[in-house]
Amino acid sequence: METAPEPLVRLEGIDKRFGAVHANRRIDLKINSGRIKALLGENGAGKSTLMNILAGRIKPDGGRIHIGAAVHAHLTPRRAIAAGIGMVYQHFTLVDALTVAENVCLGQAAGIWHHPRRSQEQVARLAAAVGLDIDPGATVAGLSMGERQRVEILKLLYRRSRILIFDEPTSVLTPPEIRQLFSALRQMADQGKAIVFISHKLGEVLEIADEIAILRHGQIIDERPAKAFGAREELARRMIGRDVLLEIDRPVVELRQPVLQVEQLDGGGLQQISFQLRQGEILALVGVAGNGQSAMVRTICGLAAPVAGVVRLLGQPWADFFSGAASGLVYIPEDRVGLATCHHLDLVDNFLLTTRRRFCKGPWLQRASATACLEALMVDFDIRPADARLRARQLSGGNLQKLVLAREFHRRPKLIVAEQPTQGLDIGATEDVWRLLLKAREEAGILLVTSDLNEALALADRLAVMYRGRIVDLFSVFDKEKLARIGQMMAGID
Amino acid sequence: MTAELLLPLLAAAVQTGTPILYATLGEILTERAGVLNLGVEGIMMVGALAAYVTALATGHAGLGFAAGAGCGALLAAVHAQVCVGFRGNQVVSGLALTILGTGLANYLGTPYIGQSIPGFQRTALPLLDQIPILGPVFFRQDPLVYLSYLAPVFVWVALKRTTWGLNLRAAGEAPEAVTAAGLSFARLRWSAVVLGGLLMGCGGAYLSLAYTHLWSTGLVAGRGWIAVALVIFAFWHPGRAVLGAYLFGGVMAFQFRLQALGTHLPSSLLLMLPYLLTIFVLVAASVRRRGQAPPAALGVNHEPPD
Repeated sequence: METAPEPLVRLEGIDKRFGAVHANRRIDLKINSGRIKALLGENGAGKSTLMNILAGRIKPDGGRIHIGAAVHAHLTPRRAIAAGIGMVYQHFTLVDALTVAENVCLGQAAGIWHHPRRSQEQVARLAAAVGLDIDPGATVAGLSMGERQRVEILKLLYRRSRILIFDEPTSVLTPPEIRQLFSALRQMADQGKAIVFISHKLGEVLEIADEIAILRHGQIIDERPAKAFGAREELARRMIGRDVLLEIDRPVVELRQPVLQVEQLDGGGLQQISFQLRQGEILALVGVAGNGQSAMVRTICGLAAPVAGVVRLLGQPWADFFSGAASGLVYIPEDRVGLATCHHLDLVDNFLLTTRRRFCKGPWLQRASATACLEALMVDFDIRPADARLRARQLSGGNLQKLVLAREFHRRPKLIVAEQPTQGLDIGATEDVWRLLLKAREEAGILLVTSDLNEALALADRLAVMYRGRIVDLFSVFDKEKLARIGQMMAGID
Repeated sequence: MTAELLLPLLAAAVQTGTPILYATLGEILTERAGVLNLGVEGIMMVGALAAYVTALATGHAGLGFAAGAGCGALLAAVHAQVCVGFRGNQVVSGLALTILGTGLANYLGTPYIGQSIPGFQRTALPLLDQIPILGPVFFRQDPLVYLSYLAPVFVWVALKRTTWGLNLRAAGEAPEAVTAAGLSFARLRWSAVVLGGLLMGCGGAYLSLAYTHLWSTGLVAGRGWIAVALVIFAFWHPGRAVLGAYLFGGVMAFQFRLQALGTHLPSSLLLMLPYLLTIFVLVAASVRRRGQAPPAALGVNHEPPD
């Protein structure tokens, strides 16, 4: 154990700045074959930057990369691939319009001619050999996220990569798919490949990793074998530098009148959806993305008319509610960069996107009073930096999400539809968002659409599991028996 | 009786459609790699003039054709440098190219107006021209038309059956996937734009060498724009481009005939027909089905992450 073998890759003094941000500060890291190394850190800690440098996507400002006997000042994607380094990026780099086999072989084919059938057979053999279930002739556009990830893995295996880097690989997967991924990772490590697993999810890291390196503010602050770390709490403290609550207190709130009633909602991929949401509760809609959640949200938020069935919002029928001012309903979309905010506008304009009615005087917009109001909110919601003149793109994901919440809660909603509100946020920001949602629950009914079970369990009073457009089951968060079977329900095994 | 009227019209449709076919195929190749080239009209003008002048000076129509194709590729290389090299706006660059090419060709071509060249002449293909209906329509044409029958096959094979074509389609769909695969994104787009320009140049050369046999101001007369529209009609597939090009060729040939017959319809109205059809085609094409979407990264320049 102590006589460490020669590492496959050694990073030495890697340094990288993006403008004022010092993303990597002279990082040293060894990657060994047959081991799964986790890079743990909050968003913006520099994990992805470091691995993008190793994959040749980003050029470092300083440092050296040792691969075997060779030393490089920087790599290009081509050289990294040739050196056996492969990376599955968080945003997959697949071509939707091409088939699985074409994606796998892209850039790898020798010779002039492309033989669709022959490459499909090759990829089918490769997939069978490692036990990844995929149809090589299928077009990527029709695949689920889990299947796409399998294509990315096949790409690396096809190139005979020896060092496989996975950037937040579980964020798009269902619990059964995560199991499959983990067993594939273990199998590949046993075959002598080096695996790097980038994550900010503590549980997963403790489960899968042999070695854990913790990054904070662009530096590796701790690196040990996984067994040498204690419980989750210790790991969380090392990662964030302060104590975090992984469990969150839920004050009891009295249930009041229904704010959303859905009866026998059909169409748009939905089947026979019925439920009720009352002021003072959080109903979490859980399930793998693509099982009808977005159709339901679109209907409830007035973006699509219900095909069949009854939807009543705040006591009013759907058509009446949305032909009026639709006040009392707020929507916190999953896509906070594209749908909830405008990237290039400043924060005041972004604030006015949904609150402008309150700051109107005839045809004139009262920008000064909106600015004052926003500045007060930014202090309340701890949005940093608290400067209303910034552009939306200058805020980090967590602060941008808090801005969206501040804006929407300012409208005193009675019904809140929140879609994946903490996706891509680090633990600190997640905790802030959770607190804000729990606080908002006192005044409103919240429909929380999430694919993160932890989040659902931390916040919700009741859970509704969606599968293929149906609500498979709806139960209280205290129903232990049903909670135990939630993974099967999400996968449609029942 | 009808055959006597119809067959020459169909033959004329093929002939008139040929320059549009070359240009449309060129644009398809360019757009499949993710680059929009609105400079087709200008490239065709320059190609037409270069072909004409070379053929006039050397007496070789073949040399003229090569010169037209070469100049088309050269002008397209300017577009490639602006869009791929400098990551400039593709629409602006293309429009500038059309204005530049049209103006340049009209200016440089002024001294040649009215001089006729032999160019390419009709030569029936033995045996094939004896096939009923198909023979007179397709196989009693000039050599450049025969060459144009091969062009869609060439483009289809290049796109679908070569490694280069696979990489090129990926470049038009997901630039970051191409870079992540270790391929040179810029080189792929460059090659597609230049090769596309070559085909557009062929289209222009056809007009002066085989269609009119002389140079006149504004020779291309909007055929480049029709090609841009036809790419959408063809859903970026070379096979459908053939159909579209001959359809337009048919309408153009038809209105010439109608004028020659001396109808009471004003000629300016008749001249509008092809462009009217362009609008209809575009409206019809907007009702597309799945799998007929444009390349996802069409018109999008790729910024490297660092």
